[in-house]
Amino acid sequence: MTTASADSDNALVELLPAADRANFIAHCEPVAFKLGQVLHTPDADTAFAYFPTRGFISVVAPLASTPGLEVGMVGNEGMVSAQLILGVGESPFRAVVQGAGDALRISASDLREQLGECPRLKAVLDRYVAVLIRQFATSAICVRYHAIRPRLARWLLMCQDRAHTDSFRMTHEFLAYMLGVRRAGVTQAAGALQAAGTIRYVRGTLTVLDRDGLERTACACYRADRLAFSSLLR
Amino acid sequence: MVTLAQARQNSLLAALDVADAERWLRQLEAVELPLGAVLHEPRAPIEYVYFPATAIISMLCVLENGASAEIAVVGMEGIVGISAVMSGLASVDRAVVQRAGQGFRLRARVLQDEFGRIESVRRPMLRFTQALLAQTSQTAVCNRHHTLDQQLCRWILMSLDRLSGDELAVTQELIANMLGVRREGVTEAAIRLQAAGLIRYSRGRISVLNRPGLEQRACGCYAVVRSEYSRLLPVRSAH
Repeated sequence: MTTASADSDNALVELLPAADRANFIAHCEPVAFKLGQVLHTPDADTAFAYFPTRGFISVVAPLASTPGLEVGMVGNEGMVSAQLILGVGESPFRAVVQGAGDALRISASDLREQLGECPRLKAVLDRYVAVLIRQFATSAICVRYHAIRPRLARWLLMCQDRAHTDSFRMTHEFLAYMLGVRRAGVTQAAGALQAAGTIRYVRGTLTVLDRDGLERTACACYRADRLAFSSLLR
Repeated sequence: MVTLAQARQNSLLAALDVADAERWLRQLEAVELPLGAVLHEPRAPIEYVYFPATAIISMLCVLENGASAEIAVVGMEGIVGISAVMSGLASVDRAVVQRAGQGFRLRARVLQDEFGRIESVRRPMLRFTQALLAQTSQTAVCNRHHTLDQQLCRWILMSLDRLSGDELAVTQELIANMLGVRREGVTEAAIRLQAAGLIRYSRGRISVLNRPGLEQRACGCYAVVRSEYSRLLPVRSAH
């Protein structure tokens, strides 16, 4: 049983009216997650949904013999295991922690029950699915048209928004997989951002120095993604 | 009025309980969907959702500078406009008829109203949504990692799964727009597939000569999406 209060720092949970929120949180337990932890894998039954309150998680689509390509990112604006909203126990995606943090965790069966009992929760999560579709679609077109540097800038901004911090741990290799490019390409793009004074990258820790500069460098997909979430919250 | 048998050409409509389907018959309209017709534009409110029967619809994501690429295709296995129904928001994408044919339309607010409260309506729509998410994300993977030849194979196969027969009426320009590449690239890829004896391309028509060969030549994305669709959706649209 949880001792969590009826306050949460997850935007979706916050959208619930106070009574619904308290009831929902009573069915959740607070958990911590570590960098690199896998929250769900393809083709295994999804046991839990996570509503992050801190930290962020990548939604990764499979690609044979690679770690896959990131198609979505979830922080405290969202939820991990959206397949459970859709009434499906399995998902083709892997959810991997990128930035350590905490979440409210609810079991698949409790979530199903809550969805049945709380129309407001259902409405909020339905909207979230629509935002996710938009994020995945943006990913599909972004990888098609945009160069590595603007994509890297976009990605860093998305991380920063969700991490609520300016520094995160990140290897070039990992970044390359997430962006679906060669390692050398990431090194080059990160080098250019560093030379421009936008970021600093030292021994696996990346620090954002100039957020405005990143925003100017990022492709329009970053703004599209922000817009999708602000429309969700309206 | 649309009959139950007609409506059932679309697998999602066929998956509805008879009571739900019969309630909808009066409100469903049979429509002809001509090649190139736009069913909805990005950021515009959606008036109708569409259930394709013989038509195939491309969902295109459009960038600020007007460049676009297909993020998913929807045929008789699905519905066009589901994310707008789920969110009550405008759609993010442009829905364009990629293959002319028939379909049914329903006022979006009818579905919106029922979607929230009728579990038997909601369930099949949600499963389709999960399949659509899988297709969209796999398109991202494919766009990033696979050759144009592989993407063209995937595209042809996905179209083929949504129609009967083994011929597509399609111009190279249309394919180029869908895949977000130059037309010359599509021409070269089509020539290679033709030289390999997989397809025959002539004046706006692609005939598939060797489907297993095409599947072999396609990247893994096609198989991933097909297996998700057959796992999630009640009636097989694919082979």
